[in-house]
Amino acid sequence: MQVRKGVAYMRLAVMLAILLLAACPGLAFTEKPSIDWPYPEEMEFPPLEFTSIEPVRHVLGNGLTVYLLADRDLPLLQGTVYIKAGSIYDSPQQTGLAELTARLTRAGGAGARTAAEVDEQLDFFAASVAVNEGTFYAMARFSSLSEYTAEVLDIVADILGAPVFAEDSLEVERNRMLEAIRRQYDDPMEVAVREFFKKIYGGHPAGAYPTVASVNAITRADLVDFHAAYYAPENATMAVSGDFDPEEMIALLEKTLGRWKVKGVEPPEFPPFDRQPERKVYYVERPLTQSVIFIGHPTVTLDNPDYPALGILSEIFGGALFDEIRVRRGLAYAAGGGLTDGYQIPGIFYAYAITRADATGRVLELMLAEMEKARQVEIPTGPANRARDAAVNRAVFRYTSAYEIASRNAADDLLGIEPGFFEEQLERIKVLTPGNLLFYAFDYLRPEEVVIVVVGYAPMFDRGLENFGEVILVEPEQ
Amino acid sequence: MLNKKMLLFLIPAVLLVSLTVAGSGLAEQAYRFELDNGLRVLVVKRPWAPVIHCHLMFDVGGIDEPPGLGGIAHMVEHMAFKGTSILGSLDPFREQKLLAQVEEAGDAYFDALQSGAPQEEIDRRHAEFLRAREEVQGVVQPNILFQLMGAQGAVGYNAYTTYDHTSYVVSLPANRLEAWVRIQADVLLDAVFRFFYEEVDVVKEEQRQRSEDQPVGYLRERFLAAAFQKHPYGRPLIGSMEEIANYRTQTAWEFWTTHYHPNRAVLVLVGDIDLERTKDLVERYFGVLEPREGPPGWIPEEPEQEGERRVLVEYNAEPRLLIGWHQPAYPARDIYVLDVIQALLTSGRSSRLYKRLVVEEQTALSVSGFTEFPGARYPSLFGLYAQPRYPHTTEELETAIYEEIERLQNELVSEEELAKIHNQARASFLFALASNSGLAENMAFYELFRGGWEKLMDYPELIRSVTAEEIREAARKYLRPERRTVAILTPGPGAAAK
Repeated sequence: MQVRKGVAYMRLAVMLAILLLAACPGLAFTEKPSIDWPYPEEMEFPPLEFTSIEPVRHVLGNGLTVYLLADRDLPLLQGTVYIKAGSIYDSPQQTGLAELTARLTRAGGAGARTAAEVDEQLDFFAASVAVNEGTFYAMARFSSLSEYTAEVLDIVADILGAPVFAEDSLEVERNRMLEAIRRQYDDPMEVAVREFFKKIYGGHPAGAYPTVASVNAITRADLVDFHAAYYAPENATMAVSGDFDPEEMIALLEKTLGRWKVKGVEPPEFPPFDRQPERKVYYVERPLTQSVIFIGHPTVTLDNPDYPALGILSEIFGGALFDEIRVRRGLAYAAGGGLTDGYQIPGIFYAYAITRADATGRVLELMLAEMEKARQVEIPTGPANRARDAAVNRAVFRYTSAYEIASRNAADDLLGIEPGFFEEQLERIKVLTPGNLLFYAFDYLRPEEVVIVVVGYAPMFDRGLENFGEVILVEPEQ
Repeated sequence: MLNKKMLLFLIPAVLLVSLTVAGSGLAEQAYRFELDNGLRVLVVKRPWAPVIHCHLMFDVGGIDEPPGLGGIAHMVEHMAFKGTSILGSLDPFREQKLLAQVEEAGDAYFDALQSGAPQEEIDRRHAEFLRAREEVQGVVQPNILFQLMGAQGAVGYNAYTTYDHTSYVVSLPANRLEAWVRIQADVLLDAVFRFFYEEVDVVKEEQRQRSEDQPVGYLRERFLAAAFQKHPYGRPLIGSMEEIANYRTQTAWEFWTTHYHPNRAVLVLVGDIDLERTKDLVERYFGVLEPREGPPGWIPEEPEQEGERRVLVEYNAEPRLLIGWHQPAYPARDIYVLDVIQALLTSGRSSRLYKRLVVEEQTALSVSGFTEFPGARYPSLFGLYAQPRYPHTTEELETAIYEEIERLQNELVSEEELAKIHNQARASFLFALASNSGLAENMAFYELFRGGWEKLMDYPELIRSVTAEEIREAARKYLRPERRTVAILTPGPGAAAK
């Protein structure tokens, strides 16, 4: 039988069923008014009318590109400065330098203010300012009541342009990082994610994590040097949204963020990623009732024309795993899959599941089998169309708030992602069919080459991990 | 779904603060109407973006569960995503027969288990039960609601259960509201509990994931059990493993049909909305539901705590500390005073405890606070959570925390410090209302439990009116040693080893 044969058939079948005495709760048919309701996929909707709102782009005198979008509904201010100063620029001996630098800009004093003064003033303005590092860029996110806009931007300008990096603040944040490392085996999901990316990226800085040694190797001079090498207006972009007049905001930004000195920064190239994956099973022993399982391998980068198809494929694959492992078999609460962001480094096609220890082998086998199936069997029209429609219909959520629009523009600009790139990807998605999805799956999915990570307690497993490849015991690292 | 959250410890409507400006603005754009069946509907027009957020909140949660059925509210929330007679079946006629067979085989198996039948018979019955379940899978579409909603462009299609209430939520492109209204009303009218026993296993996995294998979850369950000895806030919200294993389709169905009716719910829609069309849609679909009064609830009162309670939990993780003091419930004015105390102690890097423990003394990795925990409908807990930084100990943190509490009991807070809290409360209140989802959740909660959504707007002024004297009095009255429960996680063997 087809997945669905239309409402008429359904109606008939339900009418027939009503004639039966029902023994099952929830199937005690009586005639329900919903029999006449349209099937969701046959409902018709008026076209979505909206004009996409674009932010104002302005380049300050010092070269900082700013995207501004006013939203005067509530008296609030929100923004982010993106700086190409991510962990990808860490050296292997000092992994954690980008993160510690980012944290210290905020926590170590700014301009003429001590660390405590920065904290006091920001808290008084009900402002939140957090500087964190990501793989490719650091982010200084701020928000506050709009009545303190000038004061908050003044502090943000000093945080980024004139951080003090006080020694005692460095010790506070260093010690906190070391404590977080001590605690890095407490949460099983976190352990699995970290080990998975470490093994997949195998030594590439994209998969490096701070250790006690690398964090202890960082000195104040290293922070100052890292800041000098990367934190500059020409190496950053900014988004700001909220309750302001754009002209006035530009003038205010010139007075505040405009103070940030040009340094002629050009971030170095980072090493290309060209690692061939190998099927191995990495096992982290933790005394848990469940196992956290990850499998996956690299595919292609974001600029590859096949990337959008792989994204859709990964969603359908994740949905199939969810149906098979969770809904049909009750073997997990968390199960699914996806494709990581492929900016500069190939997107990782992955799957995960968290299952009771004595089902570990069974679930791992199901995950691998679903991946093999995906490259051999055409996806049914229903799920394929729904995944495609989902991507197209939810695109409107890119425009839900002024902050969302401004910050996306700023981040894309920093990374060199051209306007219209997303829309091009969407066009590629619109023409996908089950037939060509199978072609992509056959071309790209390689279950025989996946990296497998299992965090759990092997004495309770239903099958030995050696059935799935060479097993490598991962020793806890500090 | 993948991120499906049961916000075990959501503190609903922690809604902080101020607003004449936003308050009056909102009142102009908010509409309220009620269907004949008692469903209260709030609509807020926010045409900025062409999307709509939907929040359907029922006044049913963990506290409404009968003894022995812990977690059943959460279980039926899962079951409300399994589809309806029409949505999710390939052959409703056949499915009905097959589901009946599953129930029969299940009864026979559970009877055999309970009556102590020979193992051979139990095994045979179990095999028959599994076979019946396997057979029905041939005529159903798993997870169809997520697929249908996903195709509409839905984002965050989900639900969560708290001790106080149950919520179904989604965000949609503005032109597709009817899809969710149609599907959600059908679920309330005609849910089918297919895949029930598979879902029992899913919930067991969820329990392991959130509690057994999760240090904070593990500690929290034991903390609440010690703090509440009579009131259901002390029971695990997801249920115990034994309770989950004993769920039956029939008992879950009874809970579902007893409680989830339109007269016990508020529907809030926020976004780019055409009011007239929306009224018609809600009336057309939700209007067919029948109202039904809930059974008289009897929730045992928590007796006054008369001495400090301490729980030491061994777990394979680094140390953690949870302290909770009993606090009153709305409409007591002191709930606002305690919100201010919580902000003074832990909100921001310059707050008293953060500054002292994390920045100055460096004895803690982190410290945070909470109020009206784990629920807000009944007297609950004011509390603190901290993680010591090695080699410092939870004892050192406790000592410092109690010193800061004593300071609150003895010294009046300065005007500047209060002004800071007012600003923070106003900002977090505004940010909570800034998103469609935040606004919807808070309005629903206030409409259901606090005498009307407009009361939400009083919050900032109430916080602003809190005086230094009231803070000192509340600290003296509530934050006494004999009213507190202290739970400490200390490194030990892991769950698997137990």
